Amino acid sequence: MTSQGGMETSRTAYPSGTIAWCLVLILAVAVPPLVGGYLTSMLILIAIWTIMCFSMNLIYGYTGQLSLGHAAFLGIGAYSFGLLTVKLHLGFWPAFAAAIAITGLFGFLIGIPALKLRGPYFILVTLGFAVIIGVIVIAWIDLTGGANGLAGIPRPDPIPLPWGGKLRFDSLLNMYYFVLVFLVLTVLFCHRLIHSLVGKIFIAISHNENLTESLGINTLSQKVLSFTLSAMLAGIAGVLYATYNIVISPEVTHFARGMDVVAYLIVGGAGTMAGPMIGTFILMAVPEVLQVVPYVKTLINGIILMLFLIFLPSGVMGGFNSTLGKLLKSRTG
Amino acid sequence: MTLLDVSGLTRRFGGLTAVSELSFHIRPGELLSIIGPNGAGKTTLFNLLTGIYKPTSGKILFNGIDIAGCKPYQATRYGIARTFQMTSIFKQATVLDNVLIGQSLRARVGVWGSILRTPATVKEERKTREKAREILSFVGLADKENRLAGNLTEEAQKRLSVSMALATGPALLLLDEPTGGVNLEEISGLIDLVGKIRKAGITICLIEHKMRMVMSISDRIVVLNYGKKIAEGTPKEVANNEEVIKAYLGARYAA
Repeated sequence: MTSQGGMETSRTAYPSGTIAWCLVLILAVAVPPLVGGYLTSMLILIAIWTIMCFSMNLIYGYTGQLSLGHAAFLGIGAYSFGLLTVKLHLGFWPAFAAAIAITGLFGFLIGIPALKLRGPYFILVTLGFAVIIGVIVIAWIDLTGGANGLAGIPRPDPIPLPWGGKLRFDSLLNMYYFVLVFLVLTVLFCHRLIHSLVGKIFIAISHNENLTESLGINTLSQKVLSFTLSAMLAGIAGVLYATYNIVISPEVTHFARGMDVVAYLIVGGAGTMAGPMIGTFILMAVPEVLQVVPYVKTLINGIILMLFLIFLPSGVMGGFNSTLGKLLKSRTG
Repeated sequence: MTLLDVSGLTRRFGGLTAVSELSFHIRPGELLSIIGPNGAGKTTLFNLLTGIYKPTSGKILFNGIDIAGCKPYQATRYGIARTFQMTSIFKQATVLDNVLIGQSLRARVGVWGSILRTPATVKEERKTREKAREILSFVGLADKENRLAGNLTEEAQKRLSVSMALATGPALLLLDEPTGGVNLEEISGLIDLVGKIRKAGITICLIEHKMRMVMSISDRIVVLNYGKKIAEGTPKEVANNEEVIKAYLGARYAA
């Protein structure tokens, strides 16, 4: 009987969750045409960084491996896409696919030695990796253009519409919807992955790696898998960033951008599906609403992060879920 | 015919020899208990058999293959599963998910199949869930599959940890104090479970401190003291062995 009670709570919680996701999607589709171009450009950046945050959620929130080097994967995705289109004149979609593959390959190759290390040692290796990639991007001027950046990156190819005409991406609004499609795909990807047996193994590793290993699972290869997938998601964010901005500079690979994402995730709630959306939105929108200068923005984000770490370390969603759990318990009990 | 054949197994930690020149074997279908005072090297032995520690020297033949120094997940794939002295389960996951993770080494599911929900993956996941439910009803937890593992009683958690080990499909099951920390009234249920597993054809190696239990269910007993084997034989032989009495009760009790 008690087990049935558990099933009931999940059954009642599930539709309300689906309704919430649908509402968010409707808002995300309907609101931008009503607001100005400035807010739309802000929303594009928020959507791109939310994809980054889902990437961090996969490796840190669900698999339990904190990476401080994810800015490197964003940078690798952005620069591979930029170089393939600008220097090798590859088409938009082939370059997009190749950039994701290249980023995934970097994740795979770094992941194998790095994930043999545990805890702080792994974190330090990822940080070192981001710093190295950042230096290479600045110093290899012949390839990347160094501090001047890389210009002339194309917007997405126009997509022919079935009723004639073409969907072009030179307007901010259409660019926003382009990014939104990838955000929705990212959410679906993560949702299905986390609810599959593969996802359950990732979560098991984050809870108790030794026990998972003793159950016959090669935890190293599973962690490398998670890290590679996470790098590929970061690569997608990188490509979107590059095609939206048209110009990229070494700033995108700065390791501090990777730490920002960790902060977004912690505030939103690591290891939850809604966490990346809520955290990224709060930490990117609040300083924007307050209209502050960049270094004060960092200060505000630092304060928000500290308040969360002290009072609500499981983030907005973690707090929401435990409150919901208490409410349901008190109602049934 | 032996299932496990250990010879000359030694493990040193710096100056301490935790397991020293140990040789013994386990026959298929048998229940062998490892006993000995605290610090005798029993758990170290389990850690050596399952690849958590690498032996300093010696051989571990399992089904004729030397598995000494293999990785923990490889030992499990060869067919040696174990439970831990401190009950190890995924407390934040449901009971069913715990068993599913134990079974996943046999499941053929990949990332893309899971994302696209291909018929093959859906079928495989359903098969895995059915198998997990079978195991749960075997250990007597069928009605608790949706509970959080951490909310189970200590006794039910022990059952769950056994079912996770069983889910890996072992030929040899190593149980490290399966009744430790459990109420006296609940112990007999766990002993019955051990008997049931044996009847299902799985060979068992048991570490236990409760002497009455060991004497009643073991086919043979190996006694360790300071990492060395001091006696081996049937429960009766071991109970009358002078070395064993000395190790447990002190030299003055030996005849």
